[in-house]
Amino acid sequence: MSPYFGLQALPFLLFLLFAALVASEHTSNWAVLVATSRFWFNYRHLANVLSLYRTVKRLGIPDSQIILMLPDDMACNPRNAFPGTVYSNADRAVDLYGDNIEVDYRGYEVTVENFIRLLTDRLDEDVPRSKRLGSDAGSNVLVYMTGHGGDQFLKFQDAEEIGAWDLADAFGQMWEKKRYHELLFMIDTCQANTMYTHFYSPNIIATGSSELDQSSYSHHADNDVGVAVIDRWTYYVLEFLENRVTSLDSKQTLGDLFDSYDETKIHSNPGVRWDLFPGGEQEGRLRTVVDFFGNVQSVEVERADADEPGSLKEDLIEIAQLVEKWRAFSQDYAAANSTSHHEVARDSPAYEVKRRNVGPAKLSEETPWEKRLIGLSILGACAAIWFTGSTLGGTVA
Amino acid sequence: MSAKQEDLGSSQPDMTSKTSASTLPPPEKPNAIQTRFKVVAAFWAVILFLGFPIWWKTTSIYRAELPIQEMLDWAGGKSCRPVFPLEIRIDTPSLPDVEAQQLLRLTQHTLDDLNEFSAHHLRLKLANEEAQQTAVRADTALTVRLQAQDDLPSLRSELHAETTMLDIFYSPSQIPPPSSSNSPLASFIAAELQRLFAEEKAIMAHILSSNAVGNSAPSSNSQAQQISPQLAESITKRLRRSMKYAETYHLAFSLFTPGSAPSSWDIESAVQEYISPVIQELSPISNFTVDTQVQLYASFSPTTPAPEFDETYGVWTLKEENLSAFINAAEWPLNPSIGSGPTINFILYVPAPSQSPLVVKESKATSWIIPQWGGVFILNPPLPTTEDSDKSNLLHLPRDALRAPFLTFSHQLLSLLGTPSTPSSLPFRLQTLIRIRAATLLLSASSTTGSLARLTESLPSIPIPATVASSVATTLSHLSFACENLRNGQFQAALASARVAETEAERSFFEKSMVGQMYFPDEHKVAVYLPLLGPIGVPLILGLLKEVKRVVAGWKARRQGSAS
Repeated sequence: MSPYFGLQALPFLLFLLFAALVASEHTSNWAVLVATSRFWFNYRHLANVLSLYRTVKRLGIPDSQIILMLPDDMACNPRNAFPGTVYSNADRAVDLYGDNIEVDYRGYEVTVENFIRLLTDRLDEDVPRSKRLGSDAGSNVLVYMTGHGGDQFLKFQDAEEIGAWDLADAFGQMWEKKRYHELLFMIDTCQANTMYTHFYSPNIIATGSSELDQSSYSHHADNDVGVAVIDRWTYYVLEFLENRVTSLDSKQTLGDLFDSYDETKIHSNPGVRWDLFPGGEQEGRLRTVVDFFGNVQSVEVERADADEPGSLKEDLIEIAQLVEKWRAFSQDYAAANSTSHHEVARDSPAYEVKRRNVGPAKLSEETPWEKRLIGLSILGACAAIWFTGSTLGGTVA
Repeated sequence: MSAKQEDLGSSQPDMTSKTSASTLPPPEKPNAIQTRFKVVAAFWAVILFLGFPIWWKTTSIYRAELPIQEMLDWAGGKSCRPVFPLEIRIDTPSLPDVEAQQLLRLTQHTLDDLNEFSAHHLRLKLANEEAQQTAVRADTALTVRLQAQDDLPSLRSELHAETTMLDIFYSPSQIPPPSSSNSPLASFIAAELQRLFAEEKAIMAHILSSNAVGNSAPSSNSQAQQISPQLAESITKRLRRSMKYAETYHLAFSLFTPGSAPSSWDIESAVQEYISPVIQELSPISNFTVDTQVQLYASFSPTTPAPEFDETYGVWTLKEENLSAFINAAEWPLNPSIGSGPTINFILYVPAPSQSPLVVKESKATSWIIPQWGGVFILNPPLPTTEDSDKSNLLHLPRDALRAPFLTFSHQLLSLLGTPSTPSSLPFRLQTLIRIRAATLLLSASSTTGSLARLTESLPSIPIPATVASSVATTLSHLSFACENLRNGQFQAALASARVAETEAERSFFEKSMVGQMYFPDEHKVAVYLPLLGPIGVPLILGLLKEVKRVVAGWKARRQGSAS
């Protein structure tokens, strides 16, 4: 311990107390909702994700803080008997696609690489902020994944898969860079519980739909849509969320959610992993569902009559003084200028207004002639090789 | 040739049993054996000297050398202990030098006694001393001007609102005599300074304690409780409200109205008049860009409860608990901007004439802050009273009407950026903000380099390009500049260095090519390599074995031959 902090005690203690109090709070909520399978017969996976999307939006997370990855477009699939809609229930009461949906990654953009880049924020500078996970040390993050999986992997599209190791490393990097405060990982796929076995970073609660060597099943099919519309585990999680978490001030805890799992209904054994969470199961069970599914929303109303330091009234006076000072300054400046030059604008601006005029931009630096020349010379070289080869071969024969 | 003759000789006795000999292939010619040896050797040579190096080269991952230990030292706080020696100039126009010196010494002594947080301390200096040493000039945090006033009942202080200057009025009789060891004037000055810097000190302690790794063990020799719970609460509240640091902030000013009017506003001059002074003052901390938009026919979302009419005051009211749903995030175009850096939204809402004036029910306020997002102001412009039946808003909002909202937006901007609330002098608070930002950036850049160091150690399969190494070098050098500047009390320079360090640290951590999605379990590797290497490997290895066997057999035979 350094002597430098030695003198300092009570304020420090107070602050530590504070830090402890603050540590249990989060300042923003983010949701990453990922479906990983394509094609019409996987309708239910997209319906799963869209149901979750609807739920988190219902509980107040704005679209800018939801990353939705849909590898296919079921609403516009030619086999969809109800074009433009996606339903997760045969009663077709709620159109999940609706008017207000913001898909951040669509179709072939949903890849393992993009998913890991999203989590670790290793994206190009020109990727818009709406496609980035902008979470910080105060953010609670919900990660929901669904698709076809196996022992310690989850298939993406039809070509690649993400391993449990890579997922664990991605979360590890997020923790290193303080990109989450607490993270709830949910996965609905076959052998889902194997996906979170390799996690090592703290403050993660993970839950999955089925054990090793177990399949996750679909819940029911809609005969008019023609395929299964939702998976069992997601169906019962949703049922809980819809019936018991009706508003942001719901006091339902994660413990309640996990207790609601009924293996006879789900037809597989859902799992929960607590050991990464500080305080383990006891502490983790107390977290409310809206800590992850809802949005912390607070506004600070500024009373016009309050006069404590830093209040609106005090600040307005100070800012007004500042404005006056700058006005005087720019007038002086203008006066000084007009003595040397004659007709300078009276009120020369304190800063410059830059107008954004976006014109067409040329995409490539190279001239097409260069490329043509390169192509021509390559073709010429190939022809020469062929020609010499055939003449040499001819003489030998 | 001799071998051939031997072979011929040995085959002659078998000529009698011709039937059995005809089933055996003819013995290999020695040069065929030699050719086979050469072929096998050539194949293995290609594999060992060409194939293997190429495989090694192409599958190895480039990992630039990083100064891991140094990076971890920074993150652990071993390389730099941030200190904040604030220089305070004392201007004593009416005091002789000796007395001024004595007063200074006493005040400094009292200050040191009062101060418990040694990282943040005040250094007093006489104004005329300053001119002499110019080698390393520290920023002056505050100027204290001592003014003598006759027949003053008690000591009095006054902080200037537009400069960083504190006036202290005293009566000449209160000057400490050269021999005394305490004086009311000195302790008054010390107490005043202590009061002014109390909040800054508390914030610094908070920042340092929440980042410090090994310093959390508290000692027990506390004398005074300096930080009131109220202050502590306001600090945590502010930290929760303020935006994450960014190099560039986009300020988006939007005018929303449910009808068709007002459809224009004097935004350019309003921004220039009321926003740009604040932005100018904040320019050492961050860059700002300004965007504006006007959105007509903007309705509330269908789930938002409608405003209610309050009979007693004759106003329309919104409940405070419904304010979070005021912004129709789904339909109002408040998307984050495309460039890098976060957007701070400022919304000016002009209610429909039928719902005007609109205020918050509980406090009758018209503005509120949404933490880490922006601010809202409801503007209730005076309605033209010509026709009562068909009221409509003004078509154009003149600059004067925008004065109140834009000054409020300036205030909201300040609090969203984490400006401390005391003392009541804006330049002073901005100076404090510079010091706070320098400290937070120094700590966050250090912790990012530490994260990168731990990451490279824990993920051996991740590539590390050379650009990362150079970014890390830049980060480390700027971190030490910043630390050096802090120690010398040059906070502007420290902030500038810390900003560079932060940017480079972020760049190195978020390097695009460092994506570790290459983990394959060993059985996968076998599964990939076996179909390729199996068919090639079997004949190669068998050929090699046969050749080795033959060479060994030949060598043994020769030894036996030489032995017999």
